[in-house]
Formats: sequence, C-alpha cells, structure tokens
Amino acid sequence: MASTPALVCRQLVKEFEGTRAVDGLDLTVPSGTIFGLLGPNGSGKTTTIRTSLGIYKPDGGSVEILASRDPLAVRHRTGYLPEERGLYAKMKVREQLAFLASIRGLGLAESDRRAGAWLDRVGLAARAQSLTRELSKGMQQKVQFAAAVIHDPELVVLDEPFSGLDPVNSRLLKELILEQRARGSTVILSTHRMEEVESLCEFICLLDHGRPVLNGRMKDIKAAYGRNTIAVEYAGAAGRLEGIAGVQACDDSGRHARLRLEAGADAQRVMRAIFGRVEVDSVRLDEPHIEDIYLEKVGAPRIHTTPAAQETGA
Amino acid sequence: MNPTQIAKIARREYLARVRNRAFITMTVLVPVFLGLYFFTVPFLARSGTRPLRLAVIDAGTGLGRPLADRLRAIERPPITVTEVVTVSATDTAARERFGAAVRARTLDGYVFAEPKPSSSGEGSPSPAARYVAREAGNPTLMRDLQLAVRAAALEGLLDGTGVDVDAVRKTQQLTLDSVTLSDRGERAGGFITAFLSTLILGMLLYLAVLINGQGMATAIVEEKSSRLIEVILGAVTATEFMAGKILGVLGSGLTQLAIWIAVSLIPLLQASSFALPGPAPGVDLSAVLSARLLFYFAVFFLLGYLLYSVLFAIVAVTCTSTEELGQSMMAAVLPMVVALMAAMNVIGNPGTTATRVLSLIPFFSPLVMLARINVLMPPLWEVWLSVAILIASSAAAGWIAAKIFRYALLMTGKRPTLPDLMRVVRAG
Repeated sequence: MASTPALVCRQLVKEFEGTRAVDGLDLTVPSGTIFGLLGPNGSGKTTTIRTSLGIYKPDGGSVEILASRDPLAVRHRTGYLPEERGLYAKMKVREQLAFLASIRGLGLAESDRRAGAWLDRVGLAARAQSLTRELSKGMQQKVQFAAAVIHDPELVVLDEPFSGLDPVNSRLLKELILEQRARGSTVILSTHRMEEVESLCEFICLLDHGRPVLNGRMKDIKAAYGRNTIAVEYAGAAGRLEGIAGVQACDDSGRHARLRLEAGADAQRVMRAIFGRVEVDSVRLDEPHIEDIYLEKVGAPRIHTTPAAQETGA
Repeated sequence: MNPTQIAKIARREYLARVRNRAFITMTVLVPVFLGLYFFTVPFLARSGTRPLRLAVIDAGTGLGRPLADRLRAIERPPITVTEVVTVSATDTAARERFGAAVRARTLDGYVFAEPKPSSSGEGSPSPAARYVAREAGNPTLMRDLQLAVRAAALEGLLDGTGVDVDAVRKTQQLTLDSVTLSDRGERAGGFITAFLSTLILGMLLYLAVLINGQGMATAIVEEKSSRLIEVILGAVTATEFMAGKILGVLGSGLTQLAIWIAVSLIPLLQASSFALPGPAPGVDLSAVLSARLLFYFAVFFLLGYLLYSVLFAIVAVTCTSTEELGQSMMAAVLPMVVALMAAMNVIGNPGTTATRVLSLIPFFSPLVMLARINVLMPPLWEVWLSVAILIASSAAAGWIAAKIFRYALLMTGKRPTLPDLMRVVRAG
C-alpha cells in the first residue's frame, strides 16, 4: 500500500511558556497501520497528538493529517480517545454516545442508531438508559472508546486506552483495535504497556524530550539490534546472574531474566555461565523486547535510585 | 464557524438545561409563588373577619362615647365595644384591669385616649390615643382605628358649632387614587403597581439568568475538569463550542420566559371572566402586564440574559473546579443585584441623571431601563440607544469570550489571572 501517509509531522514545534514540549519532530504514520507512540511521561506524546489533531496550534513546522493541512477540515474522519478521560456524568449513556457521534459529523438519527449498536458491541446494551455516573470506570472507558471510533474514522488516536482495564476488557479492546485496522483505518496508539505495543504495533516512534530517539518499523528496529539478548527461566534466588562476563545489562525479576550481550560477546559462553549459576528451566537467544530497547534508549541515563527511593518506588 | 456543529452543541446544552431539576422546579415554582403573592397577600393584609372585643378608656379627653360609636361603625372586622370608662389622667386602675383582660384573652384590646400638652406648652392640649392589644401589627386595622380616633376627635371639636358632622365625616373618607399619565393616556395604579411589576419582572430576569447561567457554567467546568473538552475540541472549535453553549442556554431561557408569560396570562384572562378576589390594594393586574411593558420586557430580558450568559461563560471557562466557580459566580451576579436595587430606586425618581446614565450601561440597563419604561416612558431614542448598546456589548463580550475560550479551555492545573486574560484578548 503506497498510499498517502495518515499523518506527517515536519519539524513540528510546540512550546509552553518557554519550554519546548515538542522539539522539531519529524514523524510519518503510514496509512492502514497500528503505530505506537512511546516515551516516558512528559516526553511530548500528548502534545504531539493534540497538535496533530488541531487542538493546539503548532508554534513551528507543519502537520499534514489525512492529506490535509487543516486538522479541523478532516475532523469528521478522525477519532480521538484522550488520556485523561471524562464524560457528562448526568447524561444517559446512549444519548451521550450519540452526541459524541453527532459532533463527529453523523446525523442525529444515525448517531443514535450507531450508539445503540456500539453499546451492544461492548456489552453495555442493558445500561443504555443509565446515567453515565452510574457506570463503573471500565464501562465508561468502553463508552469512550466507542465514542472515538463510532463514526468509522480513517485515523484513530488512542492515548493510553488500556489503563485501568481488567484482562477481559483489555482483550476485548485489543480485538476492537485490530478490527479498526482490518477496516482499513490507521491507529495511533500511545501507551506505556509494552506487551500491547509488542503484540499490536507495526511501527513505533519513541519520543524523549520532544524528539524521536527511535522511529521506524518495529521489525527493522529489532533487527538492527540483532539477537543480542538471552532469555532465561530458572529456579533459584534472584541476583545470582549478575556480573557474568560479556553481559552489558541484566534485567532479573526472579524467575525470569533477560541478559543483554555486549557487542561481540560469545553467547555460548554466557549461556554456559548461566547453567553454572542457576537451575535453568529454559534458555534461548532472543531478539530484544521493545521494553529492552525502550529502557536502553531512555531509561538508563535516568536511573538514579537510592535504596530508600527503591523502597518507596515499590 | 460551522453552524451544524454549533447547533449540535446548542442542542445538547439546551436539553441538559431544560431537563435539569432546578430548571423544572423554578419554572413551576416562580409562577406559583407569584400567584400566591398576588392572591394571598391581599387577604393577609386585610384584617381578619374575627370580631374584636375592645374597650375604651377616656382619661379626660371627652372622646369616650364618640370613639365607641366610630369603632362600632368599622365593618371589617366587626367590633364590639365592651366597656367605656372615664378616668382621671393619673388613674391607672382601668388600664391595669383591661391589660389583665387582654392577657387573659377575655378582651382583644383597648383604646386609651388622654390629653397631651401641646409641644410649645401654650394653648389647649390635644388628645392622643394609644391602641393596646395582643396583636397590634395589622396595618389595615391600624388605619381604620386611626380614622375612627380622628373622626371622634373632630366630632368633639365640631359639637355644638352647627357644622354638619356627617358632611365632615365624608371628607374623612376621602382617598387619593394615583393615576399615571403618559403620552398614551392614563393608567390606574402608580407607585405600588410600578414597584410590584418592576420587582417581579426584575426577579424573573434575575432568576432566569441565575438558573440557566449557573447550569451552563457548571457544565463548562465539568467539561473542563473531566477533560471531556478534549474529545469535544477534537471535533468542534473553541468558538463553535462557545457559541453553541450560549445559544443553548439562550434557548432554555426563552423557553422558561415563554412558560412564565403564558402562565401569567392565565390569571389575566380569568380575572375578566371570573370574579377573582381583587389583588393587593392599588394593584391592577392588567396594568402590571400591559402589552407595551411585555414587549419591552421581552426585548430587555433577551438582551440582558444574553449578556449575562456570555459573562457567566467567561467566568466558567477560567475556573478549574466547581469550588472556584462558586466563588467567582458571586462576582458575576453582583452587577445584577446592584441593577435590581437601582431599578427599585428608579420608581421613586425616574427622571434623574443617575438613572438615565445607569439605563445606558450594559450590565445595569436591562433592569433599570425596564423600570423607567414601567414608571415613566423615557424618550424612545434613549430606549433604543440602550438596546443598541446592549447588542453591541453582547457582541463584544462574545468576541472576547471566544478568545478566552480558545486560551483557557484546555488549562487545568492553573487558573488564568486577569493580566493573562487581558494579554490573550489583546493578542487575539
């Protein structure tokens, strides 16, 4: 599919009182893909999204969304689930969903029909006439997701869609996201949940301080790192895998550990060392997880923990 | 600006407002209370129909007998004079005895008449009277008692002079009716009518602004604090959003006004076909709600309501929580309270320069100009200048509001300061 990209940001700049939240960002979101927008808190993800959707005006550079320079001109073809979410507390669920559909360009009757269909789809048909405030947080979140896609947008932006969802609803949401892509729509997914990124995204962009530190097809990014990680499952106390020669970093959580090799290290020697230290259930040479790459790119220089901080952090 | 988007925001806002419990309650309660006021206050003001048992003590004025006669002549309530005693000025025994009877409820009250030396100390002393009773507050009864005392005193003076006492008595019953004269003819009523109708129309505007404006302001703060605004702003511009809000709340205000006018017309129509008990003394309902007044009321209601709605919207959008909103709303309501007081003041002094100036200043003019129209029709050019200024200032307020909305809608943590807002408005 060599169609026009769903979103192109060129040298995008957005400042708030002297601070650059987005600092010369170049970003291309290919049409029909699920695109992961990653980065630590405060790295500029939400600002990038808001500027792209025309909620903020850029201070520099340009945005081209669905081939338009004016985000508001295509607002009926985009959908948005913001990170901080809210609904009208005293409005009935179906009416609310229909209202949110209508401001995305659907007629009143069609909005109401689709609101009914979507409530059915997310298992809330019985609550259609309830006041929104009577719904649980997870239920409200499903209503909000429905509001973002109810008008069949060509581009859906989902900011932390999984936060607060239980495993059942997380799976439902994942299905719904995949359904959007199957429909031919482009999905921009901003999330901290790396397992979802791993399983859903074809492209990612990792932001730090308003600039991309990684940008491209996930497969290519991983390939560039090579099979440089050893994944171990073992029995025994944590901490016994520290300090093996040829290992750059060790992420050991007790039963699982991921060891990143130094460039040119001998993987076989490292594995033998592992066998010598713990009772191994399984060991394999692996591609890096996106989380490993994330931590290497933006995590490492920031870790500055004292024992006390670790305790409070846990 | 896209009219379809504005209409959708307006529709939601309108429905949210008119379905609001406060809206429904007030829309029903206001006419009910006004009705109660019009039709029960006269009853309350009238003395009860329960007969009164009164005694008369004459401490040397000679008024005893004639006063008893005058008291018996009062029709409402019927008065029985149980006893008339004549005592010396220093004798307090009768007063103590009647006082005890009043406390024991075997007597409702007594009238005590005594000679009072004239203030200069020269000439003959004039009689003074006092009504002592358990319930002495009723103004209608007091007026009737006062008339009786005066009549008795006058009869005492005229006794033996050959003057026709009956003719004099008739002059005592003379009342002064007030009639308002304007270019369009005479109108019964006057001060009380103007006072009541101004108060009522002022209160209607005040209540409508308060109920609907407050509802809209709360909704805006809810949209801001729940971050729902972010979803909405992905679909509509800040200006469309603001315009929709104002239009929606304008619609709900008009709905309310229409209901109130319709309800207030019912007693008017009924009053002509049924003999309803007359309203408060000096009040003529048809004068209260003349067609001209209703027309100007609608004009000034609409414009005043619009201006205050914009003001409320601006206040709301700069708040980050309902607590903040509560405090700020006081400031927004204040000009209306001042305007209401000024309007009541206009009734006594309709033509003063201060009044004329106030009736041109936007936030005061709806109420003050309405009061002027009600009391003494000002020159038409002044009325329409006031209307023009209102329209222009509403437009200006809307323009300012649009800028502030664009700036403040997405602000959550911190509240914009006044200098921030002025900078935003200047910068555009």
